[in-house]
Amino acid sequence: MHIALKCFATLSRFTPPEAEAFAIEPGETVADLVKRLGIPPADLKLVFINGAHVEPDAKLADGDRVGLFPAVGGG
Amino acid sequence: MPLSLTLDESIRALARADTRPDGGQCQVLPYFAVQDLARGLGRSPGNGKGHPHSKAMARVELAALELGILPERYQRNSTTYSFTEQIRLLTSRVALIGLGGLGGHALEILARTGVGHICAADGDEFQPSNLNRQLLCTRRSISGYKAAAAAARVQQVNPAVDFEPVAAYLDEELMERFLVGADLAVDALGGLKDRPALLHQAARAGIPLVTAAVAGQAGYVATVLPGAKGPSDIFGADSEAAENTLGTPAPAVVAAAALMSAEALNILCGREPRLAGAMLVFDLEGMSFERVSL
Repeated sequence: MHIALKCFATLSRFTPPEAEAFAIEPGETVADLVKRLGIPPADLKLVFINGAHVEPDAKLADGDRVGLFPAVGGG
Repeated sequence: MPLSLTLDESIRALARADTRPDGGQCQVLPYFAVQDLARGLGRSPGNGKGHPHSKAMARVELAALELGILPERYQRNSTTYSFTEQIRLLTSRVALIGLGGLGGHALEILARTGVGHICAADGDEFQPSNLNRQLLCTRRSISGYKAAAAAARVQQVNPAVDFEPVAAYLDEELMERFLVGADLAVDALGGLKDRPALLHQAARAGIPLVTAAVAGQAGYVATVLPGAKGPSDIFGADSEAAENTLGTPAPAVVAAAALMSAEALNILCGREPRLAGAMLVFDLEGMSFERVSL
């Protein structure tokens, strides 16, 4: 199973190699993925899967487009 | 113009036939004719208060639009905004909070497009580090109030706009007063701290909020309808903000300001908000845009 992963802004430094087709385990949640990538949970504010906002306990599925976004407030 | 002519008659007399961008024909009121007619109105009794020239310009432009005659300065808008929509823009009121990177560019777009009433608040003064992105920050305006530079710019760009600058930071109580009478709030604040209060006050005022923020090459734009969840509910007021590490380069700031202005104009001219309940998330480094429903 693979997801297309995009880490935004300050989280981009946690982008793994081959993020466009990143292998996930069956039953893996967003929180599991975030832990595996080494992203401090406090730095992750917004998760979206296939264009919908989800909570970190959301399960990942093959082909999901996953976006990870930190707090952004600059103007 | 002889004094015996009414404003409508004068407008008709001065209008000329012209070609629209889409090839159609329309009647256009030349730029200098608007100014001349407004000057004539400015001398009439009852126009001595406030900003007579600004109000007179707006009155001439509105009268022309009501007659189906397009003021020349809006000619390149005419296939995007109908006469009815242009009238709605000229009679609408925006409360713009923040006159930095987002706010300066948003103000420029709203004023050029012909939003009739704009009140804008920012208590900050320009610093050299604003020069990388803030339209209103120039060698001349450094150390001056952002609100003062904004007023001067609107006067240069479109004096028909009734512009009210407020050189003050708004706490939640002042926000509440600032939003009275506005059709729309535009959140062009910097940082996370004040955004939840503005979202809350816009909801209390019963008006939509268009909001945007950037960090580095990434950013978002969103519309929050009264009572709905917004980005500041997700990001909070006290989180460590990504722009503290990544900064705020011009392309992301200007892109976000343009997107938020397009959405603000959609709403003001009576169309459905396109980003209600959603964020448009972008990354200019990878040139990606994604709509996320909240």
